Amino acid sequence: MELSLNYLYSITFYIPECIAVLVMAGILFLEIAYKKHDSKRILLKVFTIVGLIVTFGALVFNLDLPSKNIFYDAIVIDRFSVLVKIIAVIAALISYWYGLSSRDIYDSLKSEFGILIVGGLIGTMLLASANNMLTLYLGIEMLSILSYPLAAMKRLDEKSVEAGLKYALYGGLSAGIMLFGMSLIFGILGTIQFGEIAGRITTLDVTQKAILVPAFLFFFVGLGYKISCVPFHMWTPDVYEGSPIPVTAFFSVVPKIGGIAALVRVTSAFFVNENLIQYSWVAVLTLVAALTMTVGNVSALGQRSVKRMLAYSSIAQIGNILLGVLVLDSIGQQAIIFYFFGYMIMTLLAFGITAVLSDQYGNDYFDRFNGLIYRNPFMAICLIIAMLSLAGMPPLIGFVAKFNIIAAIVKKGLFGLAIIAVLNSVISLYYYMRLARLVVFKMPDSTEKLFRLSIGRQALFVSMALFILIVGIFWEDLYKFSDVTNQIKLAH
Amino acid sequence: MGIIPYIVVSSILFICGIIVMIARKNIIAILLGIELVLNAAALNFVAFTKFNNMNIDGHVFALFIILVAAAEAAVGLAIVIRFFQVRESIHIDSATQLQS
Repeated sequence: MELSLNYLYSITFYIPECIAVLVMAGILFLEIAYKKHDSKRILLKVFTIVGLIVTFGALVFNLDLPSKNIFYDAIVIDRFSVLVKIIAVIAALISYWYGLSSRDIYDSLKSEFGILIVGGLIGTMLLASANNMLTLYLGIEMLSILSYPLAAMKRLDEKSVEAGLKYALYGGLSAGIMLFGMSLIFGILGTIQFGEIAGRITTLDVTQKAILVPAFLFFFVGLGYKISCVPFHMWTPDVYEGSPIPVTAFFSVVPKIGGIAALVRVTSAFFVNENLIQYSWVAVLTLVAALTMTVGNVSALGQRSVKRMLAYSSIAQIGNILLGVLVLDSIGQQAIIFYFFGYMIMTLLAFGITAVLSDQYGNDYFDRFNGLIYRNPFMAICLIIAMLSLAGMPPLIGFVAKFNIIAAIVKKGLFGLAIIAVLNSVISLYYYMRLARLVVFKMPDSTEKLFRLSIGRQALFVSMALFILIVGIFWEDLYKFSDVTNQIKLAH
Repeated sequence: MGIIPYIVVSSILFICGIIVMIARKNIIAILLGIELVLNAAALNFVAFTKFNNMNIDGHVFALFIILVAAAEAAVGLAIVIRFFQVRESIHIDSATQLQS
């Protein structure tokens, strides 16, 4: 009796996820109802978009609830996780919108695209509020398993299928290693709850701690693969280049913010008291953050394909966000959430414009952007705003986001990392400006007209560019909104 | 019989899985290697539950691993079939379209 009551009570806090699951199931049923050759499927598209908007509404409604552990401490709902989910829903909505008009996604597969996007979103939501190793693993797998077919979505294209294959193989490998690490942690500590781990570490002897260090490293492999930080980033450029662009836009935002959210929660669970294991985890994170920024930025320099360049740039941006994880308190989390907002909008804007050009020419090499400003000034200006913001130029949102993170780690006393971050910002300026230079100063190769953009897409691009500009100047309100007032609490 | 034999077997499974993934060039064999690693982890969970701590978490975890491994293998094999139809090979070295 008490058991069922507890579950019913828990579900009242879990309404957004339930809505998302119903949307996913609804798309499946609607898809069956259509005839095979009916490629318009208006109702299905409207249903997906409305469903995602309703999920968004339910999340906003959940925003000010006090933090709460539900389902016997398996899931935690707090302001941090709800903010992460809100960002994920917006990103999923925008990438679905791109997918509807993109030629990269075949017309007959648009409904599957919706199902997989919503499923990936559910995985991210699970990951963002995971409070034990089982829910974390399920979140990662939900996200990964639905991402493999997404990457292989363009199924007649060799590149896309190969991207899906590489994603699946790397994903399986890292998930296996992570699980092995988890099993060792479980064996030594006897618990899968994050909240109990910190307390039990203090009771161990030296041998057990010595086994625990590699176990945590194994555990980090899975998370590191999801957020594509440096030793595990090899799949990122390949998968991003091969996947259809709307899928790439989805990959570059939704799984990564889920992974970072899980990493923040894991890190804040282990850092209650200081000892050897905590120090080694911080050392690993520091090293990984520095390497991620540097390798991402340096590799982005010589790329020919804009998608590949954006992939490396997203690796570098994740390096910046990892600095926020190292701050280890609510200010760091606030900076991370703010960075997520900026990162999502900037990246999606850049991918959206790349998608338009790639639809036109069939590829996304840099020379396709030559003289874009003479052919379509509207798109060119949006692109330049996105590039300047990604490079971190004031007065755009990218600058404020980077500033907040670097201010937080300077306050923490990690000056070395702050210097590396600023130097990397200078390197990144080169390749972002290279694209902006092509857009403005190169003459176009042909006078061929570009597609006319639909009103909806124009409005989307303009609102994203205005968001970057306006929030860059009046950033206090969004920064206050990102505040994680009820700090991440863990059940003990 | 204590816990040591279980850990030895699971470690051997894990190492075999990693070696298979690195050494074999056949994609199906690589997927099998992934399964070996997952099973090593599942065995660990069950063994630790039996000998160290009596809570049910480990058993539940092992069940979920079996379930997710099946889902992952299904999706992985589907992609391999797609790859075979496009490239007419299941050799990992024929995945050469995406290189910088």
